[in-house]
Amino acid sequence: MSGVRETLAVCRYEFRMQIRKRSLWITIALLAGSLAAGRFGMGPRYAPASPGAPAREVMTRWAFLFSVILPIAFGMALADRLLRDRRLRTAELLASMPPGSGGRLTGTFLGSVTATGAPALAAMLVAAGYETVRRGDPMMIPWGLAAFAAVLAPALVFVAGYALVCPLVLTAPLFRVLFVGYWFWGNLLLPATLPTPTGSLLTPIGSYAASWLLGTPVLHAGIPGPLSFLRPEPTGSAAAGSIALLVVAGLIPLLAAGLLRGRWRTA
Amino acid sequence: MTTGEPGWAAGVPNDVEMWRHELRRLGWAAGCAPALALVAAVAVVALTAGEGLERPQASLVLLTGLEALLPLAVAMAATSVVAAGRARELHLSLPTPYAMVLGRRLGLLAAATSAVAVVFTGAIWAAGLWSGPSLVASPLLWAPAVAWLGGLAVLVALVTRSLLLATTVAAGVWLAHQLFAASFAAHAWSRPLYLFPVSRLDAYPGWMTDRLVLTATVAPLAAGVLLLLRRPERMLTEEEA
Repeated sequence: MSGVRETLAVCRYEFRMQIRKRSLWITIALLAGSLAAGRFGMGPRYAPASPGAPAREVMTRWAFLFSVILPIAFGMALADRLLRDRRLRTAELLASMPPGSGGRLTGTFLGSVTATGAPALAAMLVAAGYETVRRGDPMMIPWGLAAFAAVLAPALVFVAGYALVCPLVLTAPLFRVLFVGYWFWGNLLLPATLPTPTGSLLTPIGSYAASWLLGTPVLHAGIPGPLSFLRPEPTGSAAAGSIALLVVAGLIPLLAAGLLRGRWRTA
Repeated sequence: MTTGEPGWAAGVPNDVEMWRHELRRLGWAAGCAPALALVAAVAVVALTAGEGLERPQASLVLLTGLEALLPLAVAMAATSVVAAGRARELHLSLPTPYAMVLGRRLGLLAAATSAVAVVFTGAIWAAGLWSGPSLVASPLLWAPAVAWLGGLAVLVALVTRSLLLATTVAAGVWLAHQLFAASFAAHAWSRPLYLFPVSRLDAYPGWMTDRLVLTATVAPLAAGVLLLLRRPERMLTEEEA
């Protein structure tokens, strides 16, 4: 029980530390603002919903507009988080503290996810507030929260897991290059061009959740391609499966890092 | 030894030692980033060769490595060099201007980039997989985009003093150019500014002129970088602004 309390303390500390990073807020505001301003020129799938469209459609369109590029900022923000402990030579000191390596990693992960997600959630709420005033529909805010939880939050968990752990092996600059390349190849490039997981349950861009909320396939959800068993029809259960898979896949690197750290310590 | 620096004296490193030192300070990750970007393109071709990848597709992937992945890798590496510099206070107290120190490291990165790009071009041409412009003009495939994206990343890093902002802006611009290629090509004013025409557009008439225009637009970015580097004390900031 005390382990949980200590992990939560690490999480709280991590959250309070990261939420004060001005550059995080400025970066998310810059990206979300650019996407909102440029969405008219980005093609019909990113365009605003038609007048009279239900709140669910309006806010899901905002969520998948943001999900195209916003997760890049999540990855960039977290890429040197664990390396920082190494750089400042505090890793050994932190390792001697009560939560242990697993608890500290879990706390850092949870704190990072909540702190990095806060500006993105704020962007969704600003969009929901704007749509509430413009369309006079108070349901925009609840649907904005639901769209954030279904489309953006799983992407954040998935990206955070890899962004925290992979730079420990790859270094931060290389991780950043590979991550941006992966984001384009694995989420946006059509399988007809190259074998890619685009449109499968494992695409963190949130194609299945967005398709389910909109009631029509978007962002290539279910498009034929490799690993066909990961490309069912975009139904509600497929969307739930996609969210669960993304969360589990995001936890895998943390689990691997925890196991490896434990083994290094005992070696 | 460069102008403005004290002459040789006992204990002062000679040119070779100095460049070796700068190479070490550049770091293996930043120094190898250009080569690894191209290795990634080769790896994609190798991994997908068994899935029935046709020769034109393989050629396109390799050209994408040169035209698109290389600029991204250089931009990220250059940002690290500028934004993650250590012991700046110490550097500012030394006779060698800090701008020169950063210039040397960025120069090494540029040299590594040029070397691997030329070797890679020769290799894919020798393998019969070259489908880009003529070999003589081949540097225009990667050099303007490398200079433009790298210049933008360094400028943002110097203006904002934030690694996060600089890397995200470079990554966002790169991704926008990949996603909205058709929108860039649709307007006469934006077409010359498009970074990846060979790998992302079906046709690219006036390519040479467009690349020269793009190269010219690097000048304001470079001027901004040089201007900011004249006041290196601006780069002193608390950790992770």
